[in-house]
Amino acid sequence: MIKSKLKTNTGYSLLETVFYISFFAIFSILVINTLITMTKSFKENTISTELMQGENIMERISREVRQANSIYSISVNDLKLNTKDTIGTAKTIEFVLSGSDIRLLENNVFTANLNTANISVQGLTFTQITTTKGVAVKMVLTIKSTHDSLNRTQNFYDTVVLRGDY
Amino acid sequence: MMVEVVVATSIILISVLASMSVVQKSIVVSRQSLHTTQAAFLLEEGAEAVRINRDNSWTDISNLTNGTSYYPTFSSGSWVLFASPTTIGIFTRTVTIQNVNRNVSTGDIASSGTNDPGTKLVTVNVSWKEGANTITKTLSFYIADIFS
Repeated sequence: MIKSKLKTNTGYSLLETVFYISFFAIFSILVINTLITMTKSFKENTISTELMQGENIMERISREVRQANSIYSISVNDLKLNTKDTIGTAKTIEFVLSGSDIRLLENNVFTANLNTANISVQGLTFTQITTTKGVAVKMVLTIKSTHDSLNRTQNFYDTVVLRGDY
Repeated sequence: MMVEVVVATSIILISVLASMSVVQKSIVVSRQSLHTTQAAFLLEEGAEAVRINRDNSWTDISNLTNGTSYYPTFSSGSWVLFASPTTIGIFTRTVTIQNVNRNVSTGDIASSGTNDPGTKLVTVNVSWKEGANTITKTLSFYIADIFS
């Protein structure tokens, strides 16, 4: 008798309903905010990963400068080196800033861009340093990600002495 | 019913906070990774700056004071080691020089022995602030007077 009376009184009171709706609203805001933050973070991580390409670009240029025998020609945005290939045959290798790309030329033939389409090269400057015993090249690379709406740039600096010039 | 709501709420709350924490950490790690890469090139450049000074004249190295921090600065078309602090963006780079001793009988570099004026121990440091922490990367190498 008591059981059946209790069953008929099931359901939500107004207070419970207000409580649940408030909870639902707060958690919805929390979850949506988290999703927005995660999306922004994913984009930020993508930008950082793309900017890491600067390492590959600088490493390639540095390695070629280090192995080179002499500088064929140098200007602010263009470096051409006298070097040798793997079997010892003389060749030239050139790095040119063209628009927002770094072009690599071997024996005056275009080989490839050093950067991908996701990276816009904002600056690449070469400066020759002449010592009493050899030559070095100072390089500054400035890049930005094409996905970065804030247009933030990152600089990579390096100087390398030509080992083949000693 | 109230207990179930509290339990469910707690699980969701913990999951959300854990996700946020992981996301925040991933941004910090990826930025730190980029800065570490930039610092690696600055270290290499610091070492090459010392090499350039050696190539010009060994006295440019031997006249430096042991243990003093010098700041490689590009001036008048070459690298110069200045005592006045300079920064490169968020990075600070220092070069310190130490004397090198050699074992009298073997001629090998040793912690004690006779001072070799033709060899120096060079330490390049690059440091930067990453949030509340200061990160320092170090490169040590010996440089010898091979041209005198």
